[in-house]
Amino acid sequence: MRVPLSWLREFVDIQLTPEQLAERLTLLGMEVKHIERWGADWQNVVIGELLTVDKHPRADRLHLTTVTVGGETLSIVCGADNIAPGQRVPVALPGAVLPGDRRIERTEKMGVVSNGMLCSGDELRLTGDADGILILPQDTPLGVPLADLYGDVVLDVDVKPNRGDALSILGLAREVAAATRQGVRQPPITVEEGSGPSSAERFAVDVRDPELCPRFVGRWVGHVRVGPSPDWVQMRLLAAGQRPISNVVDASNYVMLELGKPIHTFDAAAVGAGPDGRATIVVRRAAAGERLETLDHVDRELSPEALLIADPRGPIAVAGVMGGANSEVAEATTDVVVESAVFDAVSIRRTAFRLGLRSEASSRFEKGQETRLARLGADRTAQLLHEWAGGVVAPGRVDTAPAEPGRPRVAFRPARVNRLLGTELTADEQRDLLARVGVETEPAAPGDRVDVAITPHLLAVVPDEGSAITALVPTWRRDIAVEADVAEEIARVRGYELVPSVTPDTLMPTFRASPLEVRELVRETLAGAGLTEVVTTALVSPRHHDTFVLARDVPSIEGEDEPGGSAIEVTNPLSRDHSLLRRNLLGSLLDVVAVNLRHGTPDVAVFEIGKGYARSGATAREWWRLGIALTGAAEEPGWNRAARPYDLDDAKGILELVARRAGLPRPVYEAETAEAVFHPGRTARAAAGGDLFAILGELHPDTIDRWGLRSSQRVILAEIALRGLAAGRLAPERARSVVRFPEVDRDLAIIVPEATPAAAVETLVRATAGSLLREVTLFDIYRGVPLAGDEKSLAYRLRLGAGDRTLTEPEVEAAVAAVVAALPGIGGRLRA
Amino acid sequence: MDLAQLTSDLEALRARAIAAAAAAPDTAALDALDVEVLGKKGGITAILRSIGALPPEDRPRLGAVGNEVRAAVEAAISAARARLSASELAARLAAEAVDVTTPGRPVRRGSLHPIMETAREIADVFAQFGFVVYEGPEVEDDVTNFQMLNIPPDHPARDLWDTLYLDLEGRLLRTHTSPGQIRVMHQEQPPIRALLPGRCFRYEAVDASHASEFFQVEGLMVDEGTSMADLKGLLDQFAHAMFGADRPTRFRPGYYPFTEPSVAFDILCVICNGEKCPACSRTGWMTILGAGMVHPVVLRYGGIDPERYQGFAFGMGVERIANLRHHVVDLRQYMEDDLRFLGAFR
Ligand SMILES: [Zn+2]
Repeated sequence: MRVPLSWLREFVDIQLTPEQLAERLTLLGMEVKHIERWGADWQNVVIGELLTVDKHPRADRLHLTTVTVGGETLSIVCGADNIAPGQRVPVALPGAVLPGDRRIERTEKMGVVSNGMLCSGDELRLTGDADGILILPQDTPLGVPLADLYGDVVLDVDVKPNRGDALSILGLAREVAAATRQGVRQPPITVEEGSGPSSAERFAVDVRDPELCPRFVGRWVGHVRVGPSPDWVQMRLLAAGQRPISNVVDASNYVMLELGKPIHTFDAAAVGAGPDGRATIVVRRAAAGERLETLDHVDRELSPEALLIADPRGPIAVAGVMGGANSEVAEATTDVVVESAVFDAVSIRRTAFRLGLRSEASSRFEKGQETRLARLGADRTAQLLHEWAGGVVAPGRVDTAPAEPGRPRVAFRPARVNRLLGTELTADEQRDLLARVGVETEPAAPGDRVDVAITPHLLAVVPDEGSAITALVPTWRRDIAVEADVAEEIARVRGYELVPSVTPDTLMPTFRASPLEVRELVRETLAGAGLTEVVTTALVSPRHHDTFVLARDVPSIEGEDEPGGSAIEVTNPLSRDHSLLRRNLLGSLLDVVAVNLRHGTPDVAVFEIGKGYARSGATAREWWRLGIALTGAAEEPGWNRAARPYDLDDAKGILELVARRAGLPRPVYEAETAEAVFHPGRTARAAAGGDLFAILGELHPDTIDRWGLRSSQRVILAEIALRGLAAGRLAPERARSVVRFPEVDRDLAIIVPEATPAAAVETLVRATAGSLLREVTLFDIYRGVPLAGDEKSLAYRLRLGAGDRTLTEPEVEAAVAAVVAALPGIGGRLRA
Repeated sequence: MDLAQLTSDLEALRARAIAAAAAAPDTAALDALDVEVLGKKGGITAILRSIGALPPEDRPRLGAVGNEVRAAVEAAISAARARLSASELAARLAAEAVDVTTPGRPVRRGSLHPIMETAREIADVFAQFGFVVYEGPEVEDDVTNFQMLNIPPDHPARDLWDTLYLDLEGRLLRTHTSPGQIRVMHQEQPPIRALLPGRCFRYEAVDASHASEFFQVEGLMVDEGTSMADLKGLLDQFAHAMFGADRPTRFRPGYYPFTEPSVAFDILCVICNGEKCPACSRTGWMTILGAGMVHPVVLRYGGIDPERYQGFAFGMGVERIANLRHHVVDLRQYMEDDLRFLGAFR
């Protein structure tokens, strides 16, 4: 909310500088976001008096004037018609700067030199009038800079949603008063009523839905002359961020800003008559299919939930949101019906949202309003229509619920307040603090209960005798309803800076393992292995999602959410690029590769620990994955080493490192030939028991093309499910005794058909070598003479040992022989 | 053959061998000398072979001379060998010298993402005060994300969170980590000290200071006497841990529907140190987190008796903390993942 200090000063004295005031308000919870110097952009604009006004010799539409600004006399050419000698006007001297960074220089207009410019209110952004020069009061001192007279300071205050009462100059004046320990001056609301028929004789109000409209106060103001508001009103509204429109509309906006009460005015002639001949306003919900052209000239269909202001013929306004074009106050309007009503907050909010019409008025209604304001707003508006538009106020009001509730009683226990705040304030100190914000107090009456919480249902306690105090809350403070609210008020008025700062010394919770343990281990491991951690968005485009969805997802670890199902979509996405939750990390990581290649970083080794998401039926599922992307040089080339590009084996090595760090056996691989995004001959599935599942492979060249990488580099992607990534701890490692008896190495070169995977050979070795086998390591692969063209030789080193004795030669030979004997089973043989 | 002749031969051999040892150019020459003089077929053995021709009384005397000559030659060769191997080693080392000022063979350096690391550092600070980590789902329901946090449907405070809704009835992407408070309370009884890090989502156009996906860390502490003074003490220590022990802090009223009283927590601007600059909107202070005493309604939704228990909650944007610690001005960089940006972090 924009608060011009000059307006604020009407209700409270301010001795502080704007900066000091801003800080005090901020520390009171009314955060001042910004301090604006209103008029700071008028440079070299001073007050002058018109001496002569003559026709320009060569241009009918221009005037030739002479102006004094106290000393010298200036000749200035002016195009406006509302000027006359003797008037005091704002003069922009040569070198002046006006709002919008408009620079004024000495110019020649049709052969006559103009030494500056006379300014309109609009040019100064001081009033809304662009047609005429701003004529200032006769007693305005000559030669004084305009900024000294009309400059102001505007505070931009962030009023929180629970403090609708402070969305007004008066409301913020109450806060300033509390901060500076002084009183508030109430606005002088005095309605001078005319003679003739009363408001009630002129019109009737029929509230059909009192729940949605607890109070409607109306007033009739006749003989209104619609025109511009007085200059000072326009200046004030503009400084507060409200554009002046006409005296009638300005009056309602003025009351909204001053008191926080949104007001609507109808052209009385447009309000249809009821059976008794009186103009009749009906407050009701819309009927199905009902429509209204609103003030912005949009024809809108009204939902049956919407609360309407109607006459017997049909709708004339959407209550609390926007008026109808059919009842708009226009230049020809003479009689006005003032609506000052209280509407249900939720209803207004819903309707404003549904129509996409959120306004200053609706935002005040949706925060809730005290019913008392309905009367004050109607009276204040009638008063201003009389003063600014010459209106004659019909006697009396039309009021659907004149009874005004008293102050709510909220009981609290000073001891409980101290327990919550960690303070030791006496009951009297607490009462004094409350008094500063208008909260009166008295000892709790015997029947007063302390409300601890109101929703989901009332929790109230009977206080020990003498332990409670009852706060009589001002009607406008709808935010103070339970004991904790009183505690906040006490802390706020006293100042949060006075809350003590202590280290908690209450009971500690019992031990709980961090769910992040395995994630941290993986992160440290991979960063140590030269990979960079990245974080990408979980929301992706449909194209992204569809391209990278796998025919067979990497399965989840048992007990965690399984992938699969369909994509979860955002119904109100910011853009299509971020409209679905990703199912895996592959596409996101390829995007990271693409960004870096584009930026001239060819070597990319990155990982992310993130989630995949999908739905199955109405259930949303989320699962943790580790994703890896590799491209470019695997080993950074240097003067002492050539570049070696990343390949699938690097990804496997990283996977094996992760498995090893997580205490898992070495993963077992099998070929994956059927995933469209991956290279059919260079992609593997991996598993290590039930504790690790992965897919890893080179991207299919088509994927690289389709993703627009424009690079010949191979890209390796992997996605890994790992036990503990979601949560859980690693079991302590089991120590292995160092073998004290020598172990024996035997090398076997095994020839198998090219199509036989190494994993099959290794499996065979493990299965047949017997219990003495300690380790199997593939150390060479050979193709070529004397092997056949479709053969390869795999050289394995078998480490054999017994642990409790030295092996005998026959034992070693027997183990090797068992392997050799089994080789024909996989079409293999020993290389001679 | 007489003793004198043989003795003279031995002496001549000694003199020649010692001179040869002294003049040997390398250890190979010494090896040859060793064989020539001391070997089984060497000079000394050859001379002593004639010993049988001597009268018996002369034989021991020649043997003594032979041993003496053998020892002297051995000593000479050994001395020469020591001298030569030292200089040969020196020559080899000299030949093996490299330019030690060249840079090393590169080891690829990985790094950890500043957001993840900042979240971890935040958790580390609170871990010292007994706060343990919990996690909740990112696909949340409206009830937990809003209603149980005292934000009913159509509440004006909903404007504080622009929400991304999903094609699943009643489900949304969590707008904050605060629903985790409810989940922890459903799981645990006081005393509770919980920390909830995680990814959050908002309907927010992306620019230098807004992201539609971001990370938060939520804290929750509940016990019989947990007070606002405890909250202030903890936040002060947190600020000092993250921004330096002499960084002034400010505790002021804020507003959240799920806390009462609510708190905004500021530190003195890290850019201008309170001199008022554009980075702090010329206030001299920067808000780093929101907090407050858990609203009794929230405790009740969490299944905790608000008459007996009370506590506080706080929530902070990880990017905000990371920005201030690492002087990042455009938070889009965090999810752009340009390695030139990420490479600046440990
Ligand atoms: Zn600053």
